[in-house]
Amino acid sequence: MRVDVQNLSFAYTQKLILNNLSFTLNHGEFLTLLGKNGTGKSTLIKCLLKIVKIPDNTIFFDDIDINSLKKFEHVGYVPQKVEFSYEFPINVSEILSCAYQRRKDDYYTKIINALNINPFYRDNINNLSGGQFQRVTIARALLNRPQLLILDEPTVGVDNENIQSLLQVLSDLKKHSVTILLSTHDADFAKELSDRYLELDEVGDYRIYR
Amino acid sequence: MILATGFFESLIEFEPLRYALIAGLCIGFIAPLTGSVVIIRRLSFIADTLSHFSLAGVTIGVFFSKLIPSDIIKINPIFMGIIFSIIGTFIIELLRSFYKNYKELSMTILLSLGVALSGLFIAITPGVSTSYTNALLFGSIMSVDENDIIIILITSVAILIFAFLYHKQIVSLCFDETYARVSGINVRVLQLAITIILAIVISVFMDLVGVLLISALLIVPVATAILCSNSFKQTITSAIIFSEVSILIGFYISYTLNFPIGATIVLFNILILLVVVTIIRIKKHYVKKEN
Repeated sequence: MRVDVQNLSFAYTQKLILNNLSFTLNHGEFLTLLGKNGTGKSTLIKCLLKIVKIPDNTIFFDDIDINSLKKFEHVGYVPQKVEFSYEFPINVSEILSCAYQRRKDDYYTKIINALNINPFYRDNINNLSGGQFQRVTIARALLNRPQLLILDEPTVGVDNENIQSLLQVLSDLKKHSVTILLSTHDADFAKELSDRYLELDEVGDYRIYR
Repeated sequence: MILATGFFESLIEFEPLRYALIAGLCIGFIAPLTGSVVIIRRLSFIADTLSHFSLAGVTIGVFFSKLIPSDIIKINPIFMGIIFSIIGTFIIELLRSFYKNYKELSMTILLSLGVALSGLFIAITPGVSTSYTNALLFGSIMSVDENDIIIILITSVAILIFAFLYHKQIVSLCFDETYARVSGINVRVLQLAITIILAIVISVFMDLVGVLLISALLIVPVATAILCSNSFKQTITSAIIFSEVSILIGFYISYTLNFPIGATIVLFNILILLVVVTIIRIKKHYVKKEN
């Protein structure tokens, strides 16, 4: 999937977060989104996913204005903070099978195995560690068979072993020409996979480099 | 034992009692299903509001059914309740747009309107007895007739089909709205469908358990199940078991001792909740001691 962002500006009340941002993310490209806290990385992701309202003709997926899309298809999203409804019991298998809008098949099993979810597959989601929880959200995003995958700080609270398996999964997805936008504060993470970097700063400006 | 024999004999001989039992068993299944979504989506207050606004529909229905001869137009109060309940969901949304920072105000306004209209129409409808008003508020075994049972059965089957077809989307929406949106689920339509189903459940089953207790039937069995379950499936199954047991025992006690059925069922539901809470506390106490 190709993503075009054209002259996108976004402000929360008085504070300008994104200032006339334009970039293209080509089909199968891996773009790492860098910037300190508060520079607008999460806001840009919210704009791309229409979680916040954006002006018409500012973001296009495969040349279609996303404001004209009734629903997203094949977009995977791994959020920084998951807003699960806590306390209500639900286990990992239920979360994942509900995320998969079809009968379980080889693809489903492949994702579960790739992210090593089997050891806690039947556990209540409220009893998982931060790393296990993150793996579940990544698996959930991949079950949507994404052509565009957006990850918001996926390494927070995840140990080194799981970071390595995440890198392996991302590498496989890149080989399958999935377009990836990864937001992180760690420029070294995924440097082997990144085609380009988009760095945001505190005043709403940005730079793109290889 | 004598009482039990009397109850079962009556069940065989007395048609309205059979209707009421069928209605009870349907609500025992449907209420926890709907109640789970109500709890996760934090819609408990909406359930209460809609039941009160639906009561206004029922009382207005009764008023016009007495005013207009049934050979001209037959008005079914339950249908009026359903219509009011559905209109109520739209009024809540409309009022919410006026009070962006005090969204719960819309529900208080609608609840007050429902109670006020109900009070007015009960007062001006000729021939309304205290026992009828009591039945509306706290439920009555005798309030379910043949027409009602048809509506109840159709509603129950329709909700079960909807739940079967869309359970994946509903669970996704309930637990993570952002993900549901991104994964292509039409969140707005599904949310609307859930609220309309809630409105229908409330007005259809209100007759049996009463306006004041219908939301308790949705909430309490699920609230108990949450405490002793480890998965969504287990929670729903336990909630249905708690609900059906309360309904059967509540039904028996209500019939034999002439207690209001809604109140009896809800009290038994709360008793199960207290037993579960006590068992959990005792378990925790022993686990702590062992450690």
